[in-house]
Amino acid sequence: MAGQVAALVSSHLRDRRRSLLAWGLPLGLMSAFIVAIFPSVEDSISKVVGKYPAGLKEAFGIGRLSNVEQYLHAEMLSLIVPLALGYLAVRAVGSGLAGAAESGRLDVLLSAPVSRRRLCAAGFLATAIELAVVLAISYLLTMLGSVLAGAGLAAGPAAAGFAGVWPLALLFAGLGIVACAWSLRTSVVTGAVAGVLVGMYVADLIGKLDPGFDWLRYASVFKYYGNAIENGIEPVAFLGVTAAAIVCAALGAWLFERRDLSA
Amino acid sequence: MSVAAIEAEGLTKFYGRRRGIEDVTFAVAPGEVFGFLGPNGAGKTTTIRALLDLHHPTGGSARLFGRDSRRDSVAIRARLGNLPGDFGFGRQASGREALRLLARLRGVDGLGRAEALAERFDADLERPLGQLSRGNRQKIGLILATFHEPDLLIFDEPTSGLDPLMQEEFLTLVDEERERGRTVFVSSHDLDEVQRICDRVGMVREGRLIAVERMVDLLGKARRKVSVRLSGPSSLEDLRKLPGVTELALADGHASFEVAGDFDRVLKALAAHHVTDIEAVHPSLEEVFLGYYREEGE
Repeated sequence: MAGQVAALVSSHLRDRRRSLLAWGLPLGLMSAFIVAIFPSVEDSISKVVGKYPAGLKEAFGIGRLSNVEQYLHAEMLSLIVPLALGYLAVRAVGSGLAGAAESGRLDVLLSAPVSRRRLCAAGFLATAIELAVVLAISYLLTMLGSVLAGAGLAAGPAAAGFAGVWPLALLFAGLGIVACAWSLRTSVVTGAVAGVLVGMYVADLIGKLDPGFDWLRYASVFKYYGNAIENGIEPVAFLGVTAAAIVCAALGAWLFERRDLSA
Repeated sequence: MSVAAIEAEGLTKFYGRRRGIEDVTFAVAPGEVFGFLGPNGAGKTTTIRALLDLHHPTGGSARLFGRDSRRDSVAIRARLGNLPGDFGFGRQASGREALRLLARLRGVDGLGRAEALAERFDADLERPLGQLSRGNRQKIGLILATFHEPDLLIFDEPTSGLDPLMQEEFLTLVDEERERGRTVFVSSHDLDEVQRICDRVGMVREGRLIAVERMVDLLGKARRKVSVRLSGPSSLEDLRKLPGVTELALADGHASFEVAGDFDRVLKALAAHHVTDIEAVHPSLEEVFLGYYREEGE
């Protein structure tokens, strides 16, 4: 029943309302600060970056820093925001399942006529909304910083840059549900999936730095992340990663139905 | 013949090589109050979790309202209320928020009789559960389990953390539910509690159901310890001759003995003496088990 999923999603978001601001505000303020200082550091940054090895610049997505969009991507959207949002996704989905098991909430919810599959779907959907809200807060604060500092950040490309993070982070929500089917301890779920998140980032980085290890990148979702603020959202990658996230969530829900529930 | 509210047939649960419960078989009739009695770790909670499909049995099966506990779990849960042992619902939500969520999940309009129950149990529905004491959280758990007036109520250690007044209120509530034809399944390690409310009791020890008895039969097998202070010389030989009286000792006007079965004969025998004080102590759970085994041995 859609009503049950809606009730679970709204309850999840109500419980995590502080987290929306706790993650959205720092990321948004940090991005706003990066954008706001760009006009004053533009020249010196370009000179410094010009001396970096070409491979290093490509690996970290800092090939050119001739405009504020490139600077925002290099400083925030290539590393900090995707890693932070990936971690947030695991925390959010983990709190809805493993955290609920630890607090006893899961036992109470499953005393009601609601299936485990529906519970997983609600956790995944709530996390998808939570990620979108955090990204929206970050984006709006970044634009505010740009307007106040006169940095000239283009609204459309910036929106694409933040939106591009969403499917990547969502994949880790899907993996989080798979992890909850394996363990109902929040620390185990968060640690395991955060390890995969960092591992994928490092695999992508190694592949970029050394062409001999390019094959490693296929094991990483960061290969499909791209640079949406400069190149726009790549629809195939965006939809493909979103579909992979949904498949992971469905697999996790299927496995979750088959396990005993106790933290 | 009406379908049993709960029917377990050879229900078994192993966690790897560790035994949770083994070959548990019992049935609870509609409208019955059934106690599930055993020490901590005996397998009471494992049985409940298997009934509720929270744990998947490794053997045997269970049916609730005639439906398979695994395949029809969602439909079954629409008709029951459950208070888990060590109830929790996170720290942030208030009782009212938890109730609203459960009402929506159950498709119940409004909060049913939750307000009346909150008043009865003096429960605070407004404060976040994380700010409530264990006893006050337990009251919220009781309300969440009962507000929608389910056909079957499952309580795991329901009075844990409740003060004596609220324990009494809970026992009264169970009596009322029985009168309304509801089935109640109570897991407990407190014999007094079970004795007050249950029609029948299942005793579980080390994962096995060792007996299912009517409450009156179980108490008949249990030995109460009686201590009597007498005024004036007494030999109490008349007591010694009564069946069921053992371990009689008399010194300095103080008599102590154990009684199994009917207490009325003992009181009538004591009436012939000048009794200044009397105390009868209910046996502990272990003593009930021992009494049961002793009786079986005889």
